Amino acid sequence: MVSYLRLHFTVNGTPQALRIPANTLLLDLLRDRIGLKGAKVGCSRGVCGACTVLVDGQPVAGCSTFAFQAQGAMVETIEGLARDGALHPVQQAFIDHAALQCGYCTAGMILLAKALLAHDPDPDRATIVEWLSSNVCRCTGYQLIVEAVEDAARRMRQAAQDDPGAEA
Amino acid sequence: MNSCSDVELRVVGANLPRKDAIEKVTGQALYSTEVSLPGMLHAKVLRSPRAHARIRSIDVSAAETAPGVHAVLTHADIPKHFMPVYGYFIKDQPLVAVDHLRYVGDIVCAVAAESEAAAVEALARIRVDYEDLPVAASIGAALAPEAAELFPEAPPGIVPAYGDGASAILRPGKNICYQFNYTTGPPSAFERCDHVFEDTFHFSRMHHYHLEPFVTVAEARADRINLWSACQNPFPLRKELARMFKVPENRITVNVPFIGAGFGAKNNCKTEPVAVMLAMMTGRPVRFCLTMEESFLTNTQHAAILKLRTGVMADGRFVARESDIWLDAGAYSDASPLVAEKAGYRIPGPYRWKHIDTRCYCVMTNTSPAGPFRGFGGTQTTWAGESQLDMIARRLGIDPYEMRLKNLLKLGEPFVPGESGIDSDLKEGLDLVAREVGYFDYRKSPPKPKGVKARGVGLSIGFKDGGGVNKPAQARIKVSTNGDIYLHCGTVEIGQGARTALAAFAAEILCAPYERVSLPEINTDYLPFDQGTNASSAIAVMGQAVACAADSVKKQVLEFAASQLECPASELVLDNWTIRQGEKRHPMVPMIMRYYGGTGFEFTGEGYYKAPSDHHAPLEAPCVFWEIGWGGVEVEVDTETGQVKILRLVMSGDTGRSVNPLVCRGQEDGAAVMGIAQTLFERMIYNDAGQLLNNDPLVYRVPLAEDVPASFRSITQEQGHGPGPFGAKGAGEATILPVASAVANAIEDATGARITELPITPERVLEALTRQQAK
Ligand code: FES
Ligand code: FES
Repeated sequence: MVSYLRLHFTVNGTPQALRIPANTLLLDLLRDRIGLKGAKVGCSRGVCGACTVLVDGQPVAGCSTFAFQAQGAMVETIEGLARDGALHPVQQAFIDHAALQCGYCTAGMILLAKALLAHDPDPDRATIVEWLSSNVCRCTGYQLIVEAVEDAARRMRQAAQDDPGAEA
Repeated sequence: MNSCSDVELRVVGANLPRKDAIEKVTGQALYSTEVSLPGMLHAKVLRSPRAHARIRSIDVSAAETAPGVHAVLTHADIPKHFMPVYGYFIKDQPLVAVDHLRYVGDIVCAVAAESEAAAVEALARIRVDYEDLPVAASIGAALAPEAAELFPEAPPGIVPAYGDGASAILRPGKNICYQFNYTTGPPSAFERCDHVFEDTFHFSRMHHYHLEPFVTVAEARADRINLWSACQNPFPLRKELARMFKVPENRITVNVPFIGAGFGAKNNCKTEPVAVMLAMMTGRPVRFCLTMEESFLTNTQHAAILKLRTGVMADGRFVARESDIWLDAGAYSDASPLVAEKAGYRIPGPYRWKHIDTRCYCVMTNTSPAGPFRGFGGTQTTWAGESQLDMIARRLGIDPYEMRLKNLLKLGEPFVPGESGIDSDLKEGLDLVAREVGYFDYRKSPPKPKGVKARGVGLSIGFKDGGGVNKPAQARIKVSTNGDIYLHCGTVEIGQGARTALAAFAAEILCAPYERVSLPEINTDYLPFDQGTNASSAIAVMGQAVACAADSVKKQVLEFAASQLECPASELVLDNWTIRQGEKRHPMVPMIMRYYGGTGFEFTGEGYYKAPSDHHAPLEAPCVFWEIGWGGVEVEVDTETGQVKILRLVMSGDTGRSVNPLVCRGQEDGAAVMGIAQTLFERMIYNDAGQLLNNDPLVYRVPLAEDVPASFRSITQEQGHGPGPFGAKGAGEATILPVASAVANAIEDATGARITELPITPERVLEALTRQQAK
């Protein structure tokens, strides 16, 4: 028998209270119940990172995380990045550097980059490569993604300098 | 040619944002995985655990009564008048097994249920009694005298018409489904050679590892079939389904949302037949989505053995080549005959010969069916051909770079008699990568080995024909009263950026801002015909159809304006939906409203392109363009451990003209990194029992960002000789071709040891070093 539990958490800033089967995966909850399909189903084995979302700012594989593990947490998905129609600097950098092809890894890569830049606003190339190596992109060969992240970091540092009060 | 006469190119050549960029970075891009219909059921299939077996009996009764189950599909449930087998040249793959299972993963039967979980539970209740048959899990095993036939009876198949020198045979021998032959020039050429060298090369296979799984949602309603599918060639798919299910083509609609990559795998039937059959049986929409593990069991690259006999003069000039190529086709023919055609045809490489005689065989084995894969036979032939070139050069004491120069085809020189001319300056590309990788410095002052570390450089030229064979494409452009442009074409956006480039062509020719071009989602009812997004054909084939459609619209608009302005059309220039007549400007909108009234009008132009057929061309039509990938590598080999470190890696393709340079670079980067993985570690590993040992995303290793050598660089050349609009050629496959042979050549340069088998693991390097020292 499946047991149920109540889950309280926020998704992209919106508080949610849901009764869910205890074995619900975070990815399924987001995609099938909440309707946020930006996190993708790739390997379903915690390897590829197409399903990456941020839980309290940390990248996790939604396919390998139970929803209850997000109890009380702040969950961010790709849909929550753009604010009032303005793209997040990482999103803009991905566009400007053509750092996406099929797009299936893109949400995960962008969220990974966002988490990295929150942790280290001025990462060197090796650090970027190390972080990005937790997700797979089969299309791009990674070079343009690395360059996009470098550029996003530059832009965000610049923006922080210009307007120290603004949040990243 | 096609630009506004007095305006520089504005769109073509600029790094404008991809057409799909906003949707993809915001998570709004929808893929087939996201399609959901009311009342939709979920399909799962029972896959054979045996590599080769007969089904003695099958009992599905407990599955039929399982909770949530709506249908169980076995071969017996398929109406007798259907044709439940598919394939390209050979129709040999059953929708579900009849009674013969040919590989681990072969589909035994299928279930449609309320949820995937219910379907999986139902499958566990199915009882199958298998009778094992002898397994042939490799080319060698399948050709052995004692091997069992995978197909005791011949499946229906065809051999297409070929031109001069080319021919093919169905089932030329046991477990060979197709043999392609090509020959030109007198065999006596071998007699005049100073040397004849025979070498054999082994090529391992990869999986495409497209992140988006194979997935289809199908509904069969009233007399119609509607599908949403991750499919690279929706029009041929529609034809195949019409044939199988005896439904007129105009009652089948294939919709293709965004595709999460394919690299060839998403051509032709994959999840579609089972989804359609179950939708027919249940009257409900059915979603059939595979896991990644199942993708490994659905389509792969071709492993190969390539035996080359090459006759040369003492000065390094090529004279004659004979080759036998065995492709591991897996358990069903899929696209193997087409790959055989290409591998057999491409084995001469971009060189001049007096005689060529090649045979390529598709060998059926009890492994996952092999199909189209980026490079399409060209990766295999480049591995062998470019490796052997260096081996011969060293045996003759000639520098491998010099030996290439002696033999390279010149710009415009036909590849073989009846073929189109080579449309890249091959030496220019070779010099570029040689320079960038430091080849000439190495030759001037070879580095001394430091302890156990030896350094070397290697070059390679990857070679394939591009644009498909005899491939037509059609496009339509309509422009609304306000000047908004609709580009209708069946090229599928699979990640390569084709729709971005095609939109750029339309904008450029219509002298309109790129932002004004939109492309509707693929739907086979509304869009003009296309044979499929493959063979790097979008730019050079569809691109010409789009240019033709744009030219047609432009002509109509100018003629209309001329009639309104009562002047010759030749005085007028179209510029962002305004007509310029000398200094005067006439906006289009008022002119249209004045004449057409109401809510206005749409100008519509059709475009078409196909390379003309020619019976003298060996493949019945001359190649549309040549896709060339040049590679240069510097390695450091640890002679104690066999570790190969890539110090410098330069890969280069020639796009003719880069419609969107960053997008082109992304293609070349991506292809090269796939090549790096294939060279150093990535492969599917089968045991003799036909079990795929690394059938698991946790174990099957694909390249991560950290696997790309820090020095890696791809350089896009724009030589300007392409047949496409503005001199463009196709891209996306070139740089996977030369990686492996360039690395093997560099290792030989460093150590004298030669690797002839992929991947180049430390064990293989050590073995080669040991062999070398024993000499
Ligand atoms: S789908 Fe979650 S890691 Fe691959
Ligand atoms: S863009 Fe296709 S997997 Fe990264």
